[in-house]
Amino acid sequence: MEIVVLLAGVVDPKWRLERLALRAGGEQPDETGLPYRLSPFDEAALETALKLRDADPAIRVTAVIPGDAARDPLLRAVMALRPHRVFRFDTAGAPLWDPHAATRLLAAAVDAAAAAGLVLMGREFGDGDDGVLPPLLATARGWTFCGQAHALALADGAIVAHRMRGPREEAIALATPALVSVTNDRSNRLRHPLMKNVVLTRREPIEIVTMPADAGPIALHARSLAVVPPPQRGAGACRMLEGPLDTQIAEMATYLRDWRDGASR
Amino acid sequence: MTRRILALVPLGDPAVSDPCAAIAAAADVAARHGLRAGAMLLGTASDIDTAAAQAAREGAVEIVLATHRASDDPPLVEHLLASFAHLLAEDEDALLLLLPGGAVGEELAARLAARIYAVPLGRCNALALDGHTVTAHRATYGGRAELVVETDAPRCIAVLRRPMETPPAVAAPTVTRVELDIPLPQDVPQPMIQPAAADRPRRVDAARLVVSGGRGMGGPDGFAQLHELAALLDAATGASLPAVDAGWASVSQQVGQSGAFVAPDLYLAVAMSGTPQHLAGIALRSRIAAINSDPEADIFRVAEIGLAAPWQEVLPRLIEKIRDG
Repeated sequence: MEIVVLLAGVVDPKWRLERLALRAGGEQPDETGLPYRLSPFDEAALETALKLRDADPAIRVTAVIPGDAARDPLLRAVMALRPHRVFRFDTAGAPLWDPHAATRLLAAAVDAAAAAGLVLMGREFGDGDDGVLPPLLATARGWTFCGQAHALALADGAIVAHRMRGPREEAIALATPALVSVTNDRSNRLRHPLMKNVVLTRREPIEIVTMPADAGPIALHARSLAVVPPPQRGAGACRMLEGPLDTQIAEMATYLRDWRDGASR
Repeated sequence: MTRRILALVPLGDPAVSDPCAAIAAAADVAARHGLRAGAMLLGTASDIDTAAAQAAREGAVEIVLATHRASDDPPLVEHLLASFAHLLAEDEDALLLLLPGGAVGEELAARLAARIYAVPLGRCNALALDGHTVTAHRATYGGRAELVVETDAPRCIAVLRRPMETPPAVAAPTVTRVELDIPLPQDVPQPMIQPAAADRPRRVDAARLVVSGGRGMGGPDGFAQLHELAALLDAATGASLPAVDAGWASVSQQVGQSGAFVAPDLYLAVAMSGTPQHLAGIALRSRIAAINSDPEADIFRVAEIGLAAPWQEVLPRLIEKIRDG
């Protein structure tokens, strides 16, 4: 079976964003100089694919990263983990804000990879998506969809997805072709590459596939993008407890008991 | 043509913790634009009337109550999708459709967008209408930035949280009942529900008090103490993404931009720095109390009360104090 993993990459979540804007006269975010890394959800999707390959040698894994050359360091990091194939799907700077346009582009990226039996994505695809793209892509292509799985396993030739859905844990035997969005979990933390593979990939060429010339109509347009301070909350300045630690703990205990008992409502 | 604002409300799935939040959100958007909010409820004969009364309390002026005899319990997303798509198929109005937050509502919104070719706006912080144009404000870059997008598309779908203030109730809404008999897709894989573990953590998204731990907990031992404290406070235990990544808590406990959205009366944050990504999952109306060894931690900027000390020194004594009453 062919597994295609779509990886988005995000601006390093630990990076303190000082400024962010759309490029002048366009809808492309200006991310010049910002460091990229795989998101926890990208990593979960990639590790899940690699685990399935480890479990069944007949499984082939292709990793695809859409974007421009700024994503190439991410590609090398993924290449060092030795999936069967890794390529960048060159989006020529096309913004992904419009989910239908982004879905057409991602579908083309999957088609360029393989006749996939299984497509894996993080539960959110990059900095601009909050979980729309995986179910939209699956439905647009008529694939089985399973959202927010934390583990996939092979059982009697079928792929079984495990996920938490509110109060219940579900196991779903997937009909293929299927698209599964993967969420972070201890069981799918991304492995570390072997140093020899890191060294090898430094010399290897990066494969680039160019997207189709016509990405179709855009129905959703970005008008502004800006760093925003966290919204104001609470009744004002934080009251820091003072005095001996035992006194602080006693005061915190009283405060919490009052909330438990409804006295602070 | 005036755009109608319509909440789509899937009933009967415990995974949707606040299905009628979409109605309150629709009523709030409608009131700010001099419009009337509608609600389309999809459920079973046993729950639909109760939900209809709540829909009126949440501000719906026009209510459609739809039932399907063959629906599963809990309903499959594919069946909800087929039913909502059918109900909307003949609707030629310009529509702004709103769904409740959470995994089910968000999946349904995206898949319905593909089915009825609506523009998905995602999880929005605010929506505004101006003529044909819908403007949406969305959190991006893990809650660190805000994106403003616009569309003139006749059909848009968004997920919007419950507003801070409850809209006024509607005394006499118009109610239409629809009994669906469309064939539901049968080739859908049925989830096997796993037996609930005895020690499964309490749901974090419906709790009145949440006790939550971050990366600074350093390991599972600290979370065992958090569980103990939570039990004494009748609270749920939450966690940040790094703590879930590390395996100290389950993914269902993850709070934040990419986890559960919680709206407790009080949120106790222990050993967490207070990143925008995490705070985005806590309702603005929730009070925050914080325990952190670093007095400069960002969490103290948003907390109401703070204790600056290592959790290892605080939690055992705090548990003892509360237990001893």
